Amino acid sequence: MNCQLCQTNSNHRLSLLQTFNVIKNQKKQLCQTCELTFTLITVGCLGCGRQQKTNQLCHDCYRWQQTGKKLLNHTALYQYNDAMRQFMQQYKFNGDYDLRVIFNRVLNQQINTLNADIIVPIPVSEHTMKTRGFNQTIGLIEGMAYEHLLKVSAGQKSHQSQFNRKIRMMRKQPFSMMKQISLEGKEILLVDDVYTTGNTLYHAAELLYECGAQNVRSISLSR
Amino acid sequence: MKAYYGRQLVQAKVNKVPENVISSAAFIGNTCQRCGQNVHGKLPNDHFYCRACLALGRVSSLDVLLSLPEPNDFDGKDILSWTGQLTPQQKVVGDELLETLSRSREHLVWAVTGAGKTEMLFPVIHQALSQKYRVAIVSPRVDVILELAPRLQQAFSQTDMVVLHGAQTETYRYTSLVLATTHQMLRFKEAFDLLIVDEVDSFPYAGDHMLAYAVKNARKINSSVIYLSATPTKVLQQQVKRHSLTTSYLPLRFHQHLLPVLKTAIVGPWRKKLPLKFLRQINQFNQTKRRFLIFVPKVSDLVGVYQNIRKHFPEISGDHVYAGDPKRQEKVQNMRNKKIQYLVTTTILERGVTFPGIDVLILGADEKIFSENALVQIAGRVGRNKDRPTGLVKAYVQHTNFKVIAAQRQIKQMNKRGRQLGGRV
Repeated sequence: MNCQLCQTNSNHRLSLLQTFNVIKNQKKQLCQTCELTFTLITVGCLGCGRQQKTNQLCHDCYRWQQTGKKLLNHTALYQYNDAMRQFMQQYKFNGDYDLRVIFNRVLNQQINTLNADIIVPIPVSEHTMKTRGFNQTIGLIEGMAYEHLLKVSAGQKSHQSQFNRKIRMMRKQPFSMMKQISLEGKEILLVDDVYTTGNTLYHAAELLYECGAQNVRSISLSR
Repeated sequence: MKAYYGRQLVQAKVNKVPENVISSAAFIGNTCQRCGQNVHGKLPNDHFYCRACLALGRVSSLDVLLSLPEPNDFDGKDILSWTGQLTPQQKVVGDELLETLSRSREHLVWAVTGAGKTEMLFPVIHQALSQKYRVAIVSPRVDVILELAPRLQQAFSQTDMVVLHGAQTETYRYTSLVLATTHQMLRFKEAFDLLIVDEVDSFPYAGDHMLAYAVKNARKINSSVIYLSATPTKVLQQQVKRHSLTTSYLPLRFHQHLLPVLKTAIVGPWRKKLPLKFLRQINQFNQTKRRFLIFVPKVSDLVGVYQNIRKHFPEISGDHVYAGDPKRQEKVQNMRNKKIQYLVTTTILERGVTFPGIDVLILGADEKIFSENALVQIAGRVGRNKDRPTGLVKAYVQHTNFKVIAAQRQIKQMNKRGRQLGGRV
């Protein structure tokens, strides 16, 4: 097996029980060294999933609450550290779509435990779709049933990652609904790749609440 | 517009192609037109991308390649500011290289480590530049390029040159002289009239189809290629034997001294405990204030060996370096500037680097990573200076194997030929 990130070959020997399929053989995507560079979030803020000592609301979520937003109860799997930034750089901006398999399994498992009625990935703009060729979020949750409810409004093609917090927070609603449908009484789970300021997800949630959604939560690979 | 001369750049189909620039398909059939390989990654909607040359930016079926033919838009006013003298043997090779240029052929320079390959190139580069030719000097190793750059800049002080490699900060300019790693050749198309490939036998170039394609694609149809190596691969040697590749052979170093012969010492399991022989040797270096390199087989050995030496000799300043080290350039520079006395390293420093007056110790020379050619190259790090043309190369092995003996034999063979040309110990 070759590690997806560093290409080193680690000889993974099957045990006797694995050989006869008594224990299911989970195909590993990363070598031990690469896997250790990513750090899981153990205890996180209730609102946004940021790694903290306690699970109290963090300063940012407190601010969201002050503006009258209903909190997203965001779940994030990994901390946004150096390794995660490099992974995102390689996957999203260098466009190595094959890397989606690395976190596909853990993310899908986590989504399944959240029991949502509808899963809605954050969309990418049409321009991104024509240059990058894929939606990074849909790639990460490949194999799950999701619905295209949102689209990026025309004229929005700037990447968020190039701006600082202040500019990001000033951004107007970037999304619109694909079609006007009623989401009366539905539990909705928004999926994104990285949660940074929360601005994107709160904008998306706002639209879904307007359509009558009962509750909107969110999940991302990293925070 | 100049940025496109002889280049091959990737752009998404949706973006507008600049005026007059020729755009061509990124894939013909299944073959990537940049690297000539056939390794695909899938994208949604039946699109795909090339995984072979992904490190240089993605080429996908959503992109086109932009290029302009090379017009050789140079003034040809070139001054060779190098004032040194070639030895008689170097002069012979230099003349053969000039002939190579006029005949537009492929040529191999097979010269021992420390023969002064760079200096031999100066006449031919000078000739090419004054004919308004575009010249590229490439190597698979970035260290080689980084060491070559200041020497070339000094020799051609009037010529504008650009240095391209993966971690460079300088932006690309259109220049007549290009120094680059072989990977960067993927970004060129029919650009060079003279292409010089240094250290052809080294990783990752040797045996790599993509890089061979890149070099072939970057040279003009009517152009010359010069390969430089101290230890050519079997493939190249076969070509020489079949006379499909002309060769210049130079078995003597520029200072007319013979190569230092690799010595071996049998030791116990050095990973558990550093052998006494090895520590005594370092103690001797410590007393004579000599600088030295220690080669180890694996990256994981570096820290252990380094800390052990620190424990025994806390007074010597040293460091350890490996390929992925963020401070790699800085540490090598420290060694070069004599700020530290020793460096524990992996095979990344086996070739293309010069530290004057050093000695070399190799731990675990019997292991797989040190091939015959690698050992010859490592031995070639020693005695590269006129003031100290000899030195010590000692390989510590747990078992003597054929590879080590073969390396010794190769060095002796070259010394035999060197002696015939008047070399001395």
